[in-house]
Amino acid sequence: MSVFVAILIGLAMGAIFGMALEKGRVCEGGVIVCQMQMSRHAMLKMFLTAVATGLVVLSVMVGFGLAKLSPKATLFAADIVGGAILGVGIVIAGACPGTVLAQIGTGYKDAIFTFIGGLFGALAFTYMEPNILKPVLTAGSYGKLTLDKLIGLPFPAVALTFAAIIVGFLVWLEKVSPWEKEIGPNADGLPAESADSMPQGAASRA
Amino acid sequence: MFSLTARSWSPYAAGLVIGLLQIPAFYFIGTALGTSSAYVTISSSLAQFVDPSIVKIDYAAKHLSGAKNWWQVALIAGIVLGAFISSRLSGTPRWGASPFWAKAMGAHTPARRYMMAFIGGFIMVLGARIADGCTSGHGVSGIAQLAIGSFVAVTAMFGAGIITANLIYKRV
Repeated sequence: MSVFVAILIGLAMGAIFGMALEKGRVCEGGVIVCQMQMSRHAMLKMFLTAVATGLVVLSVMVGFGLAKLSPKATLFAADIVGGAILGVGIVIAGACPGTVLAQIGTGYKDAIFTFIGGLFGALAFTYMEPNILKPVLTAGSYGKLTLDKLIGLPFPAVALTFAAIIVGFLVWLEKVSPWEKEIGPNADGLPAESADSMPQGAASRA
Repeated sequence: MFSLTARSWSPYAAGLVIGLLQIPAFYFIGTALGTSSAYVTISSSLAQFVDPSIVKIDYAAKHLSGAKNWWQVALIAGIVLGAFISSRLSGTPRWGASPFWAKAMGAHTPARRYMMAFIGGFIMVLGARIADGCTSGHGVSGIAQLAIGSFVAVTAMFGAGIITANLIYKRV
């Protein structure tokens, strides 16, 4: 495929991706941080729905020979160390590498600093990779391990079972904590009962 | 359910749309959704102006050309565009920093928040590159492919994230 066509497809897919991130309100730092505090779960619900949908979609595509999976290699040291550093960064920034772009689109100024910081982070990695980080990156390497191969069943069988478990969990989670309440009246992940969102009359009566 | 003028969709509707994007990603591009390697493509391209020898680093070289790399750069540019259109159609444009930060951090100035955002962004993408994926590459796409490495990376991400969020911020 030519680079030009790939860029057009990327832009179109990105626009849909960006709309979904904005409508799902993970473009709000508050939604992301509250998820990490485990006090509200809008991000987890959206994330797990995307995973479950992906499991079903890929089961069908693999079943009909329309897609070849490309799982990442299992590198225990890199996955644990890198994943933990990523988690700390997400909480400080209030964004993920993808959602920060939705934050920029909605107009948040701090997200521009997050993005520029991210570019420097990528550059730092690029310069450190060959010399400093190689030993960490390659320790505990097990190749492209996947759960279906580990269990010894076809991908669709394991994927669809796992998707069903996720759906069951989400039904329970929604019952315990409904999403409209988590998003809040201003759609920014802040709850209705906080003092300055109260009408003035209510505050003076209190 | 999918109204473009709504301020928010249920997280299930939004998640469904993102999951369905795996179809064109695998069908047209032969890869899964991801965003963090685009940071390498963009930063290495820009760094070339200052340090032309960066192309001699294999990691930079393999991110600088090819349809997959520039597809992902276009994807993240498209995210900005889509979120911009979506927020204007629903009348929820934002500016400055979210009021959330003042509540979660107490003493709060815009300069302090911008500095935190920069540092957080740096740590976030550095970690994502070490782990070879982020919330989309390892999370949404890796787990959907049942990759063991992605289960490990996402567990580490949420584990460290949960500890950090409860240590450094007030509950809002």
